[in-house]
Amino acid sequence: MIAGFLQALRRLFLVQGAWSYERMTGVGIGYASEPLLEDLRLADPTRHAEAAVRSAEYFNSHPYLAGLAVGALVRAEYDQVPGAQVSRLRSALTSPLGALGDQLFWAGLVPALMGLGILGVVAGLGPWILVAVVVVYNAVRVATTWWALSTGLASGVHVGSAIARSWLPRAAPLVGLVAGGSVGIALPLAARWLLPPRPHAMTIALGTLAVALLAVWPLGPRVNPVRFGVGAIGLAALLAWGLP
Amino acid sequence: MILETAGTTALLLVWGTVVGIDLVSFPQGLLSRPLIAGAGAGLMLGEPVVGLRVGLMLELFALDVMPVGAARYPDYGPGVVGAVVLAASGPWQETLGLATLYALGFAVLGGWSLLLLRRSNGRAIGRHSAGLAAGDAATIAELQYRGLAGDVFRSAVLSGAAVIGAMLLRPSLPGGDRYAIVTEVAIGSGLAAALAGALRSAGRGARLRWLAAGVVLGVLLAVRP
Repeated sequence: MIAGFLQALRRLFLVQGAWSYERMTGVGIGYASEPLLEDLRLADPTRHAEAAVRSAEYFNSHPYLAGLAVGALVRAEYDQVPGAQVSRLRSALTSPLGALGDQLFWAGLVPALMGLGILGVVAGLGPWILVAVVVVYNAVRVATTWWALSTGLASGVHVGSAIARSWLPRAAPLVGLVAGGSVGIALPLAARWLLPPRPHAMTIALGTLAVALLAVWPLGPRVNPVRFGVGAIGLAALLAWGLP
Repeated sequence: MILETAGTTALLLVWGTVVGIDLVSFPQGLLSRPLIAGAGAGLMLGEPVVGLRVGLMLELFALDVMPVGAARYPDYGPGVVGAVVLAASGPWQETLGLATLYALGFAVLGGWSLLLLRRSNGRAIGRHSAGLAAGDAATIAELQYRGLAGDVFRSAVLSGAAVIGAMLLRPSLPGGDRYAIVTEVAIGSGLAAALAGALRSAGRGARLRWLAAGVVLGVLLAVRP
C-alpha cells in the first residue's frame, strides 16, 4: 500500500494532464487512483473493474486538493460502499474542493507570494528572492497534496466532515488577507520601479490606469485586461511610431 | 545588443516549454507566473534586470487571472520568455512597452492553444470510450500520457514561436525616446489589470480593508524621496 500511496502521490502532480471538457480531470483522477486500487484487483476483481470505470468518470476540483477525492473514493471502494453512493460522493466533492482550493491557492497563496516576490524585486533582492518564493510555494503544495491523499484515504465517505474539521476552511480567509495586503503594498512600489525616469511618465501611467478603471472595466467581461492592454499599448505604439 | 549562442537559445526554448507545461499539466509550481518565467529568461540571457522588468510588468496583468478549471485564460509563460529576448535588444525604457505587447499577443495565442488541446483530449477520450467503459488501466494511462505529450508539444511550439519570433523581430524593433510612452501606457494598463483582479478577489469584507491599507502603505513608501 505504501508503494501505491507514493505512486498515487506522484501521479497527483499530473492530475490535469489529460484535461478535457468532457471529463475535466476525470482521466487524471483515474490515473492517480490506479496504483491504490491494485490490491483490490487481487482481492475482488469484479469490484476492481467497476471501481476503475468509476475512477475515470467526470470530475473536477482544485488540482492540489484532488488527493482528498482520490483517497476518499478509493477507500470507499475498499469499504464496499455501493457504487451509486461512491458516484454521489464523487459528485458531492466537486464543488467544495474546487471552491476551497481556488480560494486558498489561486486567490490566496499565489497573489500573496507574488506580491511578496514583487516587493523583494523592487527592494533590490534580485532574482534569488523568487527562488525562495518558488521553494516556499512548492513546499506548501507538496505538503497539501500529501495531506489531502492521506486524509482522503483515512476518511472514506466521511471526508466531508474531515475537511470541515481540518485547517483548510480556516486557512483560506487568512491567506486571503495576506494576499490583499501584499498585493496592495506591491502595486505602487512596482509602478515606481517600472516607470522610466521621464517628466510625464507618472501622469501617462496614471491616466491610462484611470481610463481603464473608470471607462473600460464597466463595459464588462468582454473588455478584459489583456484585450484592454493590447488595445491601449498598440495604440500608444502607433502614436509613437507616427510622432516626428 | 545581445547575440545568443545556440546553447542559450536552446536553454530559452526549454525554459519556455517548461513554463508552458507548468500552467496546467505539470507541476503547477508557480514557474508559469510571468515574474518567475521572466526572471529565468533574464538569467539565461545574462540580463537579469531586463528579465525582472518584463516579468514584473506581465505579472501585473497575470494578477487579474484565476486559472480556474474550464475557464479560458491566457498562457503568459512562453510569451514572456520571448518578450525578454525582445526587450534585451535596447534601452529598457524604449523596449519594455513593445515587449509587453508582444507577450500579451502570445498570451492570447497560448490561451487559444489550450482550448485546442482540451478539445483534442476530448476527441481522444471519445475514441477510447470502449477502454474507459471497461475500466482498462492501460487506456487511462495512454490518455493521460497522450494529454501530457500534447501539452509538451503545445508549449514547445508556442515557446519556439515566441523566442525565434523575438530574435527575428529584434533588428527591426523601432527605438527612440518616444517609445517610452508605450512603456508608460503598458504600466498603467498592467496596474489597472492587477487592481481590478485584487478588487474582485477582495470582495467587500476584511480583505478589502487589507488591500486598501496595503495600497496606502505602498503609496507612502513609493513617494518617499
